[in-house]
Amino acid sequence: MNIAHIFLIDLSPIWLTLKLAGITTFILLLVGLPAAWWLSKGRSFFKIIIEAVITMPLVLPPSVLGFYLLLAFSPQNGFGKWLQNTFDVQLVFSFEGLVLASVIYSMPFMIGPVKSALQQLPVSLSQASYTLGKSKWQTFVKVLLPNIKPSLLTATVLTFAHTLGEFGVVLMIGGNIPNTTRVASIAVYDAVEQMDYASAGNYSLILLCITFVMVSSVFIYNRYQAKSPLE
Amino acid sequence: MINIISPIKIKLCITVICLFAMLHASAQTVKVAAAANLQTVIIALQKDFKMRTGIDIEPVSGSSGKLVAQISNGAPYDVFLSADMDFPEKLYKDGSATDKPEVYALGSLIICSNKQLAFNNWQQLLQSKSVKKIAIANPAIAPYGKAAEEALTKAGILHKIKSKAVYGESISQVNTYITTGVVEVGFTTQSLVKETQPLYWKAIDTKMYAPIQQGIVLLTHAKDNIQAQKFYQYILSPVAKRIFKQYGYKTL
Repeated sequence: MNIAHIFLIDLSPIWLTLKLAGITTFILLLVGLPAAWWLSKGRSFFKIIIEAVITMPLVLPPSVLGFYLLLAFSPQNGFGKWLQNTFDVQLVFSFEGLVLASVIYSMPFMIGPVKSALQQLPVSLSQASYTLGKSKWQTFVKVLLPNIKPSLLTATVLTFAHTLGEFGVVLMIGGNIPNTTRVASIAVYDAVEQMDYASAGNYSLILLCITFVMVSSVFIYNRYQAKSPLE
Repeated sequence: MINIISPIKIKLCITVICLFAMLHASAQTVKVAAAANLQTVIIALQKDFKMRTGIDIEPVSGSSGKLVAQISNGAPYDVFLSADMDFPEKLYKDGSATDKPEVYALGSLIICSNKQLAFNNWQQLLQSKSVKKIAIANPAIAPYGKAAEEALTKAGILHKIKSKAVYGESISQVNTYITTGVVEVGFTTQSLVKETQPLYWKAIDTKMYAPIQQGIVLLTHAKDNIQAQKFYQYILSPVAKRIFKQYGYKTL
């Protein structure tokens, strides 16, 4: 197998996967960072329950999540029916559905590292900022976040990489539609089933390279920050 | 003194458990790789075969393509019941099967939904606005998907409905999509409607697709397994054919 050969295959599943991972990471940066900040302050019972729910996709089999999403998105049941009737939106077998599923599925990878990094910052840091007249939001964006850069980077990259690796959920709610829900991991599975080992090998090699470059660059960057890369 | 379980006792327990596990693994069973469309009928066949011979079979179901990929890579199955003739033929040519494939049943393609729809003119129904998604098994690996695509091509509407199509990795995923109602309609096997209720369906005219000849082969893994050979002969017997008929298959 040579490099030229790789570019002869249909690259649309790769682009689709990168698009899905990119959008998911972006949404999780918007949603996950404030959530992590909120979770990092105080340990009320309510917060612990919320945190448990957010962390669950980490240990839950993807098929369980896929099964529930399939039922929830079905245009014949509650939530799916409401979406269908109100907005004429059908999430099952759609790219938007995959984005929502990925956001849920990858959420712990964004919130977990950021939350623990925020908890390790000294309280005096934000207190000093408040004393100097900065608002809560300004303190968060300009003081706290710059202080946890390595964890922020780790969280972002892991979220992206974890979405690249998503398989079980997509298999259950995707429907293998080219350019819409046929992501790279599904394309590999599909090619193996068709005994098209050349395509399966090409897709796998591309995914392997992307993941290796991403994860190792985080580790290299964080090495100079004198922190554990998984923090 | 409280009775503490000593490490030696634990070790003994583990050894005994391991021995039993090994004994169990070495007992001869018949591992049957069955195409996904057989999911319901294989249970009936399993029971009937057990009743007649006392032999247990272990069915494993999946799309024919997936099972063939597994068998070619050394999966320890004894008998393979495919949804077509090409996949078992390939196994025979590769030397993974002992004989040429034999037809054990002819599959019937149906259009199916969990709602009552105007199936009589399904060509028009599929193009109507009320149908948003149509489930088809992946035509590259599932013979029922291939048959569905043939029927759609013959009806001249394949390109028109292509944007509504969602592809199941096997006929059983299509069945899931139909029964949970995430698609309005799907193309599947008639054996689905024998045990799953309530479903609404109509058989697709057999002139619309090439006959789904389903072939069986005895795999080389079973060459010393007399029980597997018995099961192979059973599937081709009139008794098994009667059961296939009850589940909507046709037999030769």
